[in-house]
Amino acid sequence: MATRMKLKLKTVFVLYFMVSLLGLVYALMQLGQRCDCSEHDLPKDRTISRLRGELHRLQEQMKKSDATKQPQKQPAKPTVFVITPTYARLVQKAELTRLSQTFLHVPQLHWIVVEDSPHKTPLVTDLLVKSGLTYTHLYMLTAKDRKLQEGDPSWLKPRGVEQRNEGLRWLREDRRAQPGGDNQQGVVYFADDDNTYSLQIFEEMRSTQRVSVWPVGLVGGMKYERPVVEGGKVVRFHTGWRPSRPFPMDMAGFAVSLKLVLANPEACFDGEAPMGFLESSFLQGLVTMDELEPKADNCSKVLVWHTRTEKPKMKREEALQAQGLGSDRAVEV
Amino acid sequence: MPKRRDILAIVLIVLPWTLLITVWHQSTIAPLLAIRKACHHLVKEIFIIPERLAVHHHRLSDDGVEGKREAGGQAQDSKEYCASDKDIVEVVRTEYVYTRPPPWSDVLPTIHIITPTYSRPVQKAELTRLANTFLHVPNLHWILVEDSQRRTPLVTRLLRETGLNYTHLNVETPRNYKLRGETRDPRIPRGTMQRNLALRWLRETFNANSSQAGIVYFADDDNTYSLELFEEMRSTRKVSVWPVAFVGGLRYESPKVNAAGKVYGWKTVFDPHRPFAIDMAGFAINLRLILFKPQAYFKLRGVKGGYQESSLLRELVTLNDLEPKAANCTKILVWHTRTEKPVLVNEGKKGFTDPNVEI
Repeated sequence: MATRMKLKLKTVFVLYFMVSLLGLVYALMQLGQRCDCSEHDLPKDRTISRLRGELHRLQEQMKKSDATKQPQKQPAKPTVFVITPTYARLVQKAELTRLSQTFLHVPQLHWIVVEDSPHKTPLVTDLLVKSGLTYTHLYMLTAKDRKLQEGDPSWLKPRGVEQRNEGLRWLREDRRAQPGGDNQQGVVYFADDDNTYSLQIFEEMRSTQRVSVWPVGLVGGMKYERPVVEGGKVVRFHTGWRPSRPFPMDMAGFAVSLKLVLANPEACFDGEAPMGFLESSFLQGLVTMDELEPKADNCSKVLVWHTRTEKPKMKREEALQAQGLGSDRAVEV
Repeated sequence: MPKRRDILAIVLIVLPWTLLITVWHQSTIAPLLAIRKACHHLVKEIFIIPERLAVHHHRLSDDGVEGKREAGGQAQDSKEYCASDKDIVEVVRTEYVYTRPPPWSDVLPTIHIITPTYSRPVQKAELTRLANTFLHVPNLHWILVEDSQRRTPLVTRLLRETGLNYTHLNVETPRNYKLRGETRDPRIPRGTMQRNLALRWLRETFNANSSQAGIVYFADDDNTYSLELFEEMRSTRKVSVWPVAFVGGLRYESPKVNAAGKVYGWKTVFDPHRPFAIDMAGFAINLRLILFKPQAYFKLRGVKGGYQESSLLRELVTLNDLEPKAANCTKILVWHTRTEKPVLVNEGKKGFTDPNVEI
């Protein structure tokens, strides 16, 4: 009986030991694994699963709204090609940032940014990549004698001419290579980087057949400039400055259909034109006044404003730099 | 001998179990390590998912450089967000297009933006582009306070048409205190009464005990804000701070942050010894703190130039409690831009343009 008991005890022990050992090994293996049991109840863990659920919910919502939108409009909408000349100065990043935030709301928009620079700058490159927009990044340096110098009034020399012409050149070259040739749908708009655009203006210009026009706020020394419409046609222009110009309006006040741009490969901005005649130099070869299409409720609403941003005062910065204590140049502003 | 065997037996039984129990306690730490991994996964997902959902495509520029956004390049940012002890910051990149504000989330803290505004020719333009920015930010509540006797139809219509979640208030600054053109009456800085009204509205509307998480930010209508800024401020526990460009006559002003991640001073030239030498756009306050200290307001009278922000923050928080954002105050995410006053010479005395057309 003693031996039997001994045997029994021994096997019991062995069994017991093996079971415990297995349990230990199992627990050790659990150490490296992720524990997805909710009983741990750590706040961070909860936050993660909550955020994850949130993310999936938003994803589903996005997919649903995209699915309903896509069959409806996307293929038929003409693309708006926005040509923006830009140049390096303190407020450049801020201006391009808020401009990109507006453009991000506009579907089927292609932003053509042309830098006044001998090469692409990293500031603009990074900004465009992060913006989430469809874009083309170009550059064209203005000749020194045509460039505004420090202290020159802004109206002394025409600005952005070479850059806009470069944008047009690229657009023509790029679109020619597309299927559909000269018969493509699209609208070309020249948007300066310091103006303010409402979202409606882009929808208004999308239906441009030749050249469409609308009022522009805060320009020409007045609250707004606008074409005067009678019987659905533009008969004259309401402006306070040199109304005898062929097209006395601001760059932001018109859009040209892509077809017209492609059909007239020689049409571009003339840098030699007298002050205020820049827009006319481009439009003269393209359209006559009675062919203009008035938008914005027969040119009675202001949907774009010619805002200008103040040059930030850098007195203290300059004083510090003279002492060699200027702010860290590595921080991009 | 049986005694020794018994002892041996007991030891053999007890040992693995004690080991097991101690190891099992250790394993409560394991999820924390696992959470780090999960956090990195989550942040990557948030960056990558919008790419997959993006409706538009990228055009190659004419020199053939690959313009496609590299989702992998964003991964290095995930380390910032998954650092130890930080609350998880959900950053949703807006790489898709929509015109309505993003769907409201029950999880994200609401950002209450207080903007004072006043009538002038550029007002509608400023508010329009500000609204275009805000339409990208999820869970945003815009509190627009007009400096006027009555709510103007211009602002009312604008707010309604944007589709944003908003509250429209108004209070008129008494005439002798207004900053009129060039005559600077230094007694009440512009926008103070409007901001205080908004703070009072928040305190009347939200209960201190409610669990609604919120962040309060003072945004002037002529500044420029990047979308990243709003996600940085969402994780504010008390008061968070970051650099602001184009203030104080410098490229940017910023808080001084030491190696431990604490604010110990201010990198400014204009009076750096102010208690809080920071611009209105350079800080955000947790709503709970506002509700917890119902007496804290911007001081109306007797405030020296540049001390307005200090007059409020002094009552809410100490320097030690400030949370530096924007990569320890090394990135610029907000610019103190100012819009030029438009030259309206051609309007003449009687006004040339039709006054019924709204600008």
